[in-house]
Amino acid sequence: MNDLPAPFQPTLGLVFWTLIVFVLLLIVLTKYIFPTLVQMTVDRENAIKQQMADAAQMRAESAAALEEQRQLLASARGEALAIVAEAREAADRERSIAVEKTRLEQEELLARARREIGAERERAVADIRREAVDIAISAAAKVVGARLDVAADRKIVEEYIASIAGGARG
Amino acid sequence: MIQHTQGPAEQFNIGEMIFHHTGDAHELDFQPLITIELPRFAPVHVGPLSIDLSPTKHVVFMLLAAAIIITVLKIAGNGVRKAYALGQAPRGFAGAMEALVLWVRQDIAMESIGHESGAKYAPLIMTFFFFILVCNLLGLLPWGASPTGNLAVTGALGLIAFGAIEIGGMRKLGFKGYMGTIFPHIEGLPPAGAMALSIFMAPIEILSKFVKPFAFMVRLFGNMTAGHFVILTMFGIVFLFGHFGFVSWALGVTSAVVVLAVMGLELLVAFLQAYVFALLAAVFIGLMQHEH
Repeated sequence: MNDLPAPFQPTLGLVFWTLIVFVLLLIVLTKYIFPTLVQMTVDRENAIKQQMADAAQMRAESAAALEEQRQLLASARGEALAIVAEAREAADRERSIAVEKTRLEQEELLARARREIGAERERAVADIRREAVDIAISAAAKVVGARLDVAADRKIVEEYIASIAGGARG
Repeated sequence: MIQHTQGPAEQFNIGEMIFHHTGDAHELDFQPLITIELPRFAPVHVGPLSIDLSPTKHVVFMLLAAAIIITVLKIAGNGVRKAYALGQAPRGFAGAMEALVLWVRQDIAMESIGHESGAKYAPLIMTFFFFILVCNLLGLLPWGASPTGNLAVTGALGLIAFGAIEIGGMRKLGFKGYMGTIFPHIEGLPPAGAMALSIFMAPIEILSKFVKPFAFMVRLFGNMTAGHFVILTMFGIVFLFGHFGFVSWALGVTSAVVVLAVMGLELLVAFLQAYVFALLAAVFIGLMQHEH
């Protein structure tokens, strides 16, 4: 047996050597060996991380787009309602204008008809009156057997008829 | 593993044989072929300490372990790179080694430490695993020795784990946060009581910090040494009863069968202890990283 202690008695020299060997091995493995072996997994991990980040971003974007669409829809609906209301108002206005115009036209037509009827009646009354004067003078001339002064008699008859008409009207 | 050819049992000292094989030495013993003397340096004096930096058998086997790890993983790495360059999944040896490395990285390191700090500590955990595994396995080879069956080696590994746990924790938590792991924050008590209890707890917390690496050191050393002791003792029986005539044959066969079985068990233990060391180191680092 040599002069070194049994395995139960640690020596500082071996502690030192272990630290050196382990640290060197750690450096070599970390720098040159492990990257090749774990690269695929690390790449996959990074790809998944990236995909998750992308998915989160896309979700946020689509949520924003959805909100925008919703707002657009709401504003479009508002606009449509406004347009319909405006159209209805315009239609109402147009209709009332048309109704008013028709009413005015009708009234005018009516007034004209009345005026024409009145004028016709006046003319008819005047004709009847002239006929009546002529008949009355003719009858009176027959009665008295003489020719009456046409102009003077006519005046008398006409005044008389007028008085009758006035009395009848009155 | 056993190359002793001592003669009769009267001259054979089983204890000496066991210590010779499990202990460190200044020579590489390849009896009966050759014995290589290792260079001796004068001890270095650091303050009151006298450190003998002469390389020993276990240093050589640690270097051998490191060389084996680098070579094997380099070959596997090349295979993996070639396979991926061809757009294929690695197969055979390269695929198996990649799976083993990834298992240590993902299922031990990342799982226990967490994905945030896990990637940073994964190389350390993977190095722990492979270094301890190969050191353990070297002890099962003929003329081999297990550096992990030496308290100095396991102590140094425990020291590295301790450094990773505590310094990593200090960097992550900051000074105030780290002090919180020594003076725990105690809830549900009035301030004075909480402070008193916190100060009272401090020695226990400090002790628990040192118990962890100590447990690392003793667990690995104990497991590896115990296995070797059992194997060597069983072999020793052959030499002890070598002159018993017919009985010696029966004993020889029996002990060879038992040794074979224990060797099989040791193979499992070699993997298990590497796994346990790496897992516990990762768990403790993870606990420290997530301490609040």
